Amino acid sequence: MKDLLRIKSLISSDIEALLNQQVKKEALSSSIYLAMASWCNRNGYDFSSEYFFKQADEERHHQLKFYKYILDMGGNAVSPEVTGIKQEFNSFREVFEEALDQEISVTNSIKNIYARCMKEQDFITMEFLNWFLKEQREEEYKARRALELFEVIGEEGTGRWQIDKHVGQIKYDSEA
Amino acid sequence: MIATTELTLWTDVFSTKTGAVYQCDAERCWYVDFAGKVARFDHRNFLKLRKAVYAIDIEEKLLNTTTDPDVEIIFICACDHCYVLSLAQIINLKELLEGTFVMLELNHIIHDRLFSNSL
Ligand SMILES: [Fe+2]
Ligand SMILES: [Fe+2]
Repeated sequence: MKDLLRIKSLISSDIEALLNQQVKKEALSSSIYLAMASWCNRNGYDFSSEYFFKQADEERHHQLKFYKYILDMGGNAVSPEVTGIKQEFNSFREVFEEALDQEISVTNSIKNIYARCMKEQDFITMEFLNWFLKEQREEEYKARRALELFEVIGEEGTGRWQIDKHVGQIKYDSEA
Repeated sequence: MIATTELTLWTDVFSTKTGAVYQCDAERCWYVDFAGKVARFDHRNFLKLRKAVYAIDIEEKLLNTTTDPDVEIIFICACDHCYVLSLAQIINLKELLEGTFVMLELNHIIHDRLFSNSL
């Protein structure tokens, strides 16, 4: 008896489901960042707003990377429904705290897919995920650095204005 | 394990008292003998059937005391077949599909092993 499921698709249905979940997660990230860009813009934090617009674009790009991978491997990519995006924040700092939370949860879910791939010996998807593992290093670094600015600059006086200016300059370039 | 019919070579995948699933390698499809008919499913539609059946909340239906009939219509997009099933039949179909996918998974493992051993 031929292995028909394998002939049609390189990835197992479990991995396919996890990857579709990740598609949704990246779409959610993109929408969250877009809401943050709007809040920052409305409150006068133009550099941060620009920073979140860029992040939203990147998350959309991540979403498409997963989406196309599922299709290329013979799976069924599902366009996700994204609802319940928080539009208002209590403070400038809260925006960055939630940005870091979101990145940590993305790192965890990618690790979870990786663990499942190891169990199934799906080396091909593991190799595909390597790019994302490296990307999360950068994403968490940037989110953590933004929060650090609140500590080193302080929010008093023109502090928030300074923090905003520096958020626009956050970069991660590690050769490792 | 190979059953020959008049027409093509079908392999038994899994069967229960109420139904059976056969695989046809030549046509790369499955035949589901259930609820009085034999229906042909290609790869995509077979996975859609599984998804539709697994999505039915059997427990909720059992506890549901409203007067509407316990009938579920399983309609699969871009597929010629449609099932109108009673609650008992849904349970039977689910059992049939679960067993089928375990056997397909087993077949996959065997193929995997055979291939890696021949290297
Ligand atoms: Fe991402
Ligand atoms: Fe991210």
